[in-house]
Amino acid sequence: MTSPVALDPELESNAEPVKAEQKLEGRSPGQLMWQRFKRDRTGVVCAVVVILYFVIALAAPLLTKISGTDPYTLYGQDPTYADKPILDQFGLPLGYFGGVSGSHWFGVEPQYGRDLFAMLVYGMRTSLFMALGVTVLLMATGVVIGLIGGYFGGRTDYWIGRVTDFFLSFPQQLFFIAFMPVVTAFFVDPREATPTYFRALAMLIVLWLLGWMGMARLVRSTVLSLREREFVEAAKVSGASPWRIVRKEILPNVVTPILVQFTYSLPSTILTIAFLSFAGVGFVEPTPDWGRLFAAAANYTEQDPAFLFFPGLALVIFVLAFNLLGDSVRDAFDPKSGR
Amino acid sequence: MKPISSRRARAIVVALAAGSLALTACSKNDGGDSGADSKKDQKEASVQSKAVTYADAAGSTGPAAEVPGAKPGGTINVYQEAGLSHLDPGQIYVSDAGQVANLLFRRLTQFKEDDKGNVSVVGDLATDSGKASDGGKTWTFTLKDGVKDQNGNAITSADIRHTVERQYAKFIFDGPTYLQTWLSGADYRKALPNGGFDGKHLPDSVLATPDDKTVVFHFDTARPDLPQTLAMAGYAVVPAKGDTKEKYDKAPVATGPYKIVSNKVGKELVLAKNTNWDPKTDSVRHQYANGFDFQFGITESTQTKRLIADQGEDKNAIQLTGGVEATQIQDVIGNAAVSKRTVKGYQPYVMQLTFNLDRVKDLKVRQAITYAVNSKSLIAGEGGAYGGDVAPNYFAPTLPGYEATYDPYGRLKMPQGNIAKAKEILKGVPAAEKKVVFAYSNSEAGQKRKVAIEDALTKVGFNVVSKEVDSASYYEQIGKLNNPYDLYITGWGQDWPSAGTVITPIYDGTQVADGSSNYSHVKDPKVDALIKKALTQDPTAAAATWKEAQHYLLEKVLPAAPLWYTKQFQLSGSNIGGARYGSVSSLIDINRLFVKS
Repeated sequence: MTSPVALDPELESNAEPVKAEQKLEGRSPGQLMWQRFKRDRTGVVCAVVVILYFVIALAAPLLTKISGTDPYTLYGQDPTYADKPILDQFGLPLGYFGGVSGSHWFGVEPQYGRDLFAMLVYGMRTSLFMALGVTVLLMATGVVIGLIGGYFGGRTDYWIGRVTDFFLSFPQQLFFIAFMPVVTAFFVDPREATPTYFRALAMLIVLWLLGWMGMARLVRSTVLSLREREFVEAAKVSGASPWRIVRKEILPNVVTPILVQFTYSLPSTILTIAFLSFAGVGFVEPTPDWGRLFAAAANYTEQDPAFLFFPGLALVIFVLAFNLLGDSVRDAFDPKSGR
Repeated sequence: MKPISSRRARAIVVALAAGSLALTACSKNDGGDSGADSKKDQKEASVQSKAVTYADAAGSTGPAAEVPGAKPGGTINVYQEAGLSHLDPGQIYVSDAGQVANLLFRRLTQFKEDDKGNVSVVGDLATDSGKASDGGKTWTFTLKDGVKDQNGNAITSADIRHTVERQYAKFIFDGPTYLQTWLSGADYRKALPNGGFDGKHLPDSVLATPDDKTVVFHFDTARPDLPQTLAMAGYAVVPAKGDTKEKYDKAPVATGPYKIVSNKVGKELVLAKNTNWDPKTDSVRHQYANGFDFQFGITESTQTKRLIADQGEDKNAIQLTGGVEATQIQDVIGNAAVSKRTVKGYQPYVMQLTFNLDRVKDLKVRQAITYAVNSKSLIAGEGGAYGGDVAPNYFAPTLPGYEATYDPYGRLKMPQGNIAKAKEILKGVPAAEKKVVFAYSNSEAGQKRKVAIEDALTKVGFNVVSKEVDSASYYEQIGKLNNPYDLYITGWGQDWPSAGTVITPIYDGTQVADGSSNYSHVKDPKVDALIKKALTQDPTAAAATWKEAQHYLLEKVLPAAPLWYTKQFQLSGSNIGGARYGSVSSLIDINRLFVKS
């Protein structure tokens, strides 16, 4: 009688060499990349970290429910909490390390005494999802415009190129500072508060409109060289439609720069949004914002370094993990460029 | 005068040294006393609020009493964040240029402060503080002998006339307007369109100069405050010879103990001794230091750090109008050696939540807001006990007639707001009136104030709509008569120690106009009548009238909720002697300073 062990699915998958030989013919670049990526330990760890950040951001309301705090209550000033003083007379947190305690896990903000943990997780939520939205939009637009310009060439490419130049010439941040009050005055009733979604939408649109050019140029140059390659010629000769050529022959080959560019531009978008909040045209108090939290903490580096420590450490880890992830993804796609 | 709106441009610091931070943060903060006792501070400030006395010729004769331990020599460095907007005396209305003007320019009268902080008005160019006749409608000043400008030309009554008349010219637009409007009415510019530069002068029935030494002012009503008005830097003498009109703003002619050596606008201003200044003619100013070196573009945070460290040139340094930066207050108080080098006192500003009476018409709403606002959290945002103090009424502790215990809304007992009382008042108020639009200056400090106001008002059931206003044009926007906002935070301080310079500009119904400082648009016949009455009374009688006006305003009209008094807390280097808080300027008394070694 044959041993039942042989039928064990785990064992079967362990028999990799046999399998690999069998499947030799059909593996897409994506599948290859995935296999290589799984072997890169740094990449996997970073991917887990990055995903964890997004999960934390998504689950911010749940996390603050556990800590029993919220990012809006002024714990240091609210008469309701007067029996539990958390700030000294200078407005600095009492106790160790910026007022770390059972109820305030990361301590509290100087002066108002808002809970740093709640502010951080909610702030990450604002910043991460804004940055994700902006970056995805940028990538999509850049890829489409770059593909069209690069593939069709000629007059199309010329005009798309000029439009790209035109948009590139806008100073993004100055544009924002100058136009945000005008846009607000135009759309929002002077006796109504500017809704937060309006601010988010305005930021999304402006960052998108003024940010896609880099991506478009990158994709265009890659496509331009791919267009002349033999496999594209072959597809053309065999009668494939331009749409099919773009989709099946060219797009898979520009995935590498797109993904790498994505992993670089997401952290930098977080910083851009932080700057806008700081310049007064982004999110305003009390909407929690990671970047602004960090900027505010910079004023207290000497008196209350813990206030900078937690948001700063979180930001350092995130940016590092995201950039390493980008490197790993590139290596996985293109092992020849590996270290 | 308006508080200087210092817009701090700070870069986002993204560099982080997590390791070193973690090491420095491990000590426990167990509170401890900040040493700020508001009761004691207010008692000290009550000296500031004493009514000013008018001195005779004896008090106006120089030289000034020696500062104990003073010695000549050395250069004093002065640090300031933003450059001076004006140096032409006619344009000076803001405290930074005002402080520099104390060293450079002489006026008809000036304030003199004794060691106990008692303030009197003495003659500066004039032999005394002025002689009133005709029931206070006519004022006569006689000039001292031997007063010269930096070029050695004697100051005559023609120079005084020129000083007054040039204020009518178009190129003078930023200075005080009290004297001009008193002499020629609100449309004063029409009385002398060219400011006397074309040879036309004001008629003798308004301003007469019968001889070289005599100046006579004629007003249509009694002007008992005139000696104090003339002590403002804005009315400092501009000698007719050497007036370069617009260009005068960069290179004015000095009459005080110091003159300008070089002026790099926005960077550096260097002063040296004016050899034509005669100490025997001046009963207030001294000339101890060889010179002053004003350096601009140094942020408040850097100033504080440098003065705490007290190294090299910083030992001879003072702050001009900046104070100890809010986050570093603890470092200064915690160190006895540094703490010794500070001067502190109240600034004349009262910050208040002003109601736009054209929109917030229901007194109940205004009362509920006044009960609800949390002064404590607002002060925390300003730097805590050293940044400000709870304000129970409209008069700052520096103002004559200030009542420390006058507290109709119980703010001293409950600085965090009386939520229960506010809710009770709001009970019958329809929901539509509970929606209030709060305008705030869109700066870091403004956003902080917004959080505190929103938090307090939302708690008692208001629907707060917050609108950001560009911080550079904040006062311009809320000064518009038809502005769409209900509430805004404003600050105002006296121009000289008289309630008339507070109540009149901000509560006089006849002054409601675009750009006027009556931000609440209050138009109350009783207030207007009281103002009219008080302006013609002598200081003691006027004080009672101002008190009545304040009580009526705060209890019956309520055009604004008082929030906090601002405080001054300045640091100077260890080599600076004679440092004292000047209660007139609300800054370090710059005329007394000397270099110790």
